[in-house]
Amino acid sequence: MRVATTRRLRLPRGEGAGAWLSAGSVALSLLALLALLGLLAMRGLGHFWPSPVALVVLDDGRQLAGERVREVPLAHGEGLERLYRTGNRDLDGARWDWVRVSAIDAVSHPAELVVLERRRWGEAIGRLAAVEDDAGQRIEGEAAWAALEARLAELTSLRRARDTLRKEVILPRVGVFEVEGRLDPDFASANARLRELQAAMEGGRLILDTAEGETLVVPLEQLLSARRPNAMSPLDKLTAWGSGVWRFLSEGPRAANTAGGVWPAIFGTVLMVMLMSILVMPFGVLAAIYLNEVAHQGRMTRLVRIAVRNLAGVPSIVYGVFGLGVFVYGVGGRMDEWFFDETLPSPTFGTGGLLWASLTLALLTLPVVIVATEEGLARIPDQQREGALALGATRLEMLSRVVLPMAAPAMLTGMILAVARAAGEVAPLMLVGVAKLAPQVPVDADFPFLHLERKFMHLGYHIFDAAFHGGDVQAAMPLVYATALLLVLVILVLNLTAIFLRHHLSTRHGALTRR
Amino acid sequence: MPDSSPPTAVRRRLRQGRDRLATALITAGGIGVIAALLAIGVFLVVEVLPLFWPAGSTQAVSPEALWLPGEAADDGTRYRWAPTATLMSDEAPRISLVPLAWGTLEAAAWALLMALPLALGAAAHSSLFMSRPLRNRLKPTLELMEALPGVVVGFVAGLVLAPWVERHLAEVFTFLVLLVPGLLLAGGIRSGLPPRWQQAVPLGWAGLWLMPWLVLLLVAANWLAPWLEAVGFGGDLRRWLELRLGLDIAVRNAMIVGMAMGFAVMPTVYALAEDALSGVPRSLVEGAQALGATRWQTLWRVLLPAASPGIFSAVMIGAGRAVGETMIVLMASGNTALMTLNPLDGLRSMAATIAIELPEAGPGSVHYQLLLLAALLLFVFTFLVNTLAELVRTRLRRRYQRLGGGS
Amino acid sequence: MSAVLCRFLASWLLLVTLCVPQVEAQAQSQAEEIAGTLGAVGSDTMAGLMLRWGEALARRYPGIRLQLQASGSASAPPALVAGTNRLGPMSRPMKEAERRAFTERHGYPPRELAVARDALVVVVHRHNPLEGLGRRELDAVFSDSLRCGAPEGIRDWGQLELDRPEGRIRLHGRNAASGTQALFRRVALCGGLFLPAVNEHPGSAAVVAAVAEDPRAIGYAGLNHLTPGVKAVARRDDDGTLNTPDPDAVRRGDYALSRDLYLYLNLPPGESLPAPERAFIDLVLSPVGQAIVEELGFVALTEEQRRRQRRELALDVSGR
Repeated sequence: MRVATTRRLRLPRGEGAGAWLSAGSVALSLLALLALLGLLAMRGLGHFWPSPVALVVLDDGRQLAGERVREVPLAHGEGLERLYRTGNRDLDGARWDWVRVSAIDAVSHPAELVVLERRRWGEAIGRLAAVEDDAGQRIEGEAAWAALEARLAELTSLRRARDTLRKEVILPRVGVFEVEGRLDPDFASANARLRELQAAMEGGRLILDTAEGETLVVPLEQLLSARRPNAMSPLDKLTAWGSGVWRFLSEGPRAANTAGGVWPAIFGTVLMVMLMSILVMPFGVLAAIYLNEVAHQGRMTRLVRIAVRNLAGVPSIVYGVFGLGVFVYGVGGRMDEWFFDETLPSPTFGTGGLLWASLTLALLTLPVVIVATEEGLARIPDQQREGALALGATRLEMLSRVVLPMAAPAMLTGMILAVARAAGEVAPLMLVGVAKLAPQVPVDADFPFLHLERKFMHLGYHIFDAAFHGGDVQAAMPLVYATALLLVLVILVLNLTAIFLRHHLSTRHGALTRR
Repeated sequence: MPDSSPPTAVRRRLRQGRDRLATALITAGGIGVIAALLAIGVFLVVEVLPLFWPAGSTQAVSPEALWLPGEAADDGTRYRWAPTATLMSDEAPRISLVPLAWGTLEAAAWALLMALPLALGAAAHSSLFMSRPLRNRLKPTLELMEALPGVVVGFVAGLVLAPWVERHLAEVFTFLVLLVPGLLLAGGIRSGLPPRWQQAVPLGWAGLWLMPWLVLLLVAANWLAPWLEAVGFGGDLRRWLELRLGLDIAVRNAMIVGMAMGFAVMPTVYALAEDALSGVPRSLVEGAQALGATRWQTLWRVLLPAASPGIFSAVMIGAGRAVGETMIVLMASGNTALMTLNPLDGLRSMAATIAIELPEAGPGSVHYQLLLLAALLLFVFTFLVNTLAELVRTRLRRRYQRLGGGS
Repeated sequence: MSAVLCRFLASWLLLVTLCVPQVEAQAQSQAEEIAGTLGAVGSDTMAGLMLRWGEALARRYPGIRLQLQASGSASAPPALVAGTNRLGPMSRPMKEAERRAFTERHGYPPRELAVARDALVVVVHRHNPLEGLGRRELDAVFSDSLRCGAPEGIRDWGQLELDRPEGRIRLHGRNAASGTQALFRRVALCGGLFLPAVNEHPGSAAVVAAVAEDPRAIGYAGLNHLTPGVKAVARRDDDGTLNTPDPDAVRRGDYALSRDLYLYLNLPPGESLPAPERAFIDLVLSPVGQAIVEELGFVALTEEQRRRQRRELALDVSGR
């Protein structure tokens, strides 16, 4: 049914003020949506683009080097103040510097400024003075940069070899040792090999002259990366951008969630959502089939149907409370008493964890799946059912051979809608098992491989945590933007799939409505 | 039949048995799932009961402590939420739920105030004026907007929008003032254009081409604001508000919460209201237009009265969503348990309080039970509101069927 | 404040760079093969600290891995009582009941080890001229129960005899049910109630970020969250001397709003710890371990405290 006909008559009178105001509300909503998405995309992706490092000379002669972050107006109209990210926290106790714009004498972008990422104390910014090795040999000037890059490449491969060795040879043997109390003879040799690798990484120093005129000595072994953003060509920057995005997606967080990547959070989100779908699909479909195909269609069923629909509108935090009270404290506490008696009072399942989070979200999305599946079932014409029954099929056969295959796309839509809702839900997770930092992902090589009782990280909670809990909000902001963008993209893709499927479905079954 | 061989009979009995078993399983499973869902309410009631009728020697919490004013403090706040405070022996517990309920409703009210004009205006526009292709695209776009996670909206509102609005308060108010005249001006300019140019900016696509116009208005507001501030408010709007009107201004305030939550609620209300409007039988609309009504008159005289229950239910569902939204309020409100009508002051909602305090409250403690009571209130409120909306909608659907007849 | 911090950090850096090669060389010369899993359950404030210590330990002994569950200080005592792990990081001392539960189960009290110090700092916007606040003034700013003895509440910057930020004081703090809020209420408000107008943030970093945005704000946060966007306010004693929250004062215990961060051990008297735990404690109480404390923004132990605890645990004291 359409109110507005496609071919509109030109009406004699004007449409009045209302038409424009209502058009304005459409425009305003779309503008707000665009602004939000644009902000996330710009700040989230822009963070990985190497920004230029400015050398600032102040009117009192002080110098500083750093990336410009933002500007705010001072109170009482006294001009502007600018924030620089200067790094070198080990020298002056802070990695930021606020500077009055009026106090700036000159800003330049010398090509030789180096930004170092270090294992400790965050980043360092300055001029590369020299690279020294332990023998005291000192390389200066442009050669120093080349030497540094060579050494960095070497360090990266050593580091990788060390991590692989530890993960694949040493730690499995520790696992065996803990169970059998016997240390594999290979362990000592692997340990020795690892120490060799570590020793190969030791040695050498980098000497950095900071803009403030101090000298910073950085052991080369602590370096993660080095770059000269002012000397980079756009192509170099693009490469750096790509590798930055990749590292964001593939690495774990560092420095109390203010740096590094979000891999464990991606993993946790996806795993939790997968578990949730496995839990919610059979039950949701079962309930829908019961409501639509089996139950007597009377007043009671209608009431139950309305109640189930309404449960979709109950706030998610209430589901979280239910999950905490029933799953965690109730069922989990009881399970601990029965099966994990030896570890009590330290809770195993009696505390938030992956299983309870998935169950809670499954409950939360159950109404979505029931409603979507029911819609699909209702769309199947009764003739199909009657035909099947008339041919001698039992109800089970009718359901499994005729009705369910026809309703499959609707169920799929329901699942995707459920997944999209669950992936963005954070409030209930805060009560039932999300963690700010879970160094052990819930899947590993230890028996039983999938650890349902462990806490996990989540993209949505990561946003909340980094923006409000983390060590330094200013430092975490770019990562929060990037994480938010990632979460929004995931949810948009899921929703677009659902919309596409539904469209596909309605064109296929549109003609076959029940009435 | 006499010649039906025994194996067939056995097989048939087997099939029927399997069928009966499956039906029983489906029934049991279906009832179980639905019971589990409905158990939420039961669980909350059971957990909250000991608060008022305790089993052991612990003291019951009186409803007066929760809802009636306590001793007045020096700034006149008689309702206090301080469940973790250590108390002197003579003090009554400070566990008034009033500020939380107030904050919840205030946040929802501001959200609706922002969302309703946008959502209902957009619904009216898309059902009356908007061109078909744009309308077919608008719906999924707004559905995507609905799917944006609360934590993202809350983060942007709390850490980006709130400080920005605080610095640009005058600009924001100027923009709000300019908005209505600006839109009318756009309409006026368009009707003054020669017909050929008018076709380039059709009314059906106004939702799109007004966007740059709004940006232009924003720029104009930015340019006008300092001047307005200097003329009307002594150079500094914030100071003027504070000194003249005695308004406290918090960075994260009810207005920010309203904007963010309005943004989140708007698509829900839009979708339902649009459904209600486009569900009105076409014969009514055509009849009105045949009698010479403009489309806007049709809306007011015919569409709205017919669709009003549907729109009412859309508003109710929007309200239910706004009351329960957690992350946006948590991140954008400052969580101050104040009770003021000032839109520039902070607030604290029940959902946000549950989210931050429940993980730290020991199970079984009074604090825990109080938070569960808050959850129960949220549950009951949203459930009732949604049921009401659903009933109204069902009745509406029947009315359309009667009115629509053969369409 | 920041000048003191700088000097202090620089001196530590020097110390660390002197010590690092030496310590690591020693560890490697000992080169006994230690392997095993360290289980730790406890404070989330200390999660970063524990992880960094674990990392540093794994570099020394690749066969040791740390499994950390950081869900709050309250989760440490039950885990220790159960005996599933021997390490319990806590950001507050154990309560009497928790201690009793441990002693009942094991027959000896838990071993308490101070591993770092943390302090709460009152912060204002970086351009705020406020230098110090007295005990009563601080209570009058944040509370209306005035248990510390102030005559009336302070709601306006003018009442502090400052002319620069004008108007209302905007208050920021931590959420109820956080240890930080409890400590501040106990010490700074003399156990009184917070005003309802205090913005409650879910984390210290959020408090600092909010104060850095607003010239009229005041708040309290953990020392390790300070940024140049805010200024730490000193505590004025009754005789008028300003007590700045610099790391030295915190370490000496002169600054009232400070607390120890603990590691509780399950250590039967007369026995020594299993090798992995011993190596971990050895690292924590070494200059390298304490440098990690400084790097994360907490305050390291005094040299005397560190050495005493090492001696008590019969760890090698010479040269470290």
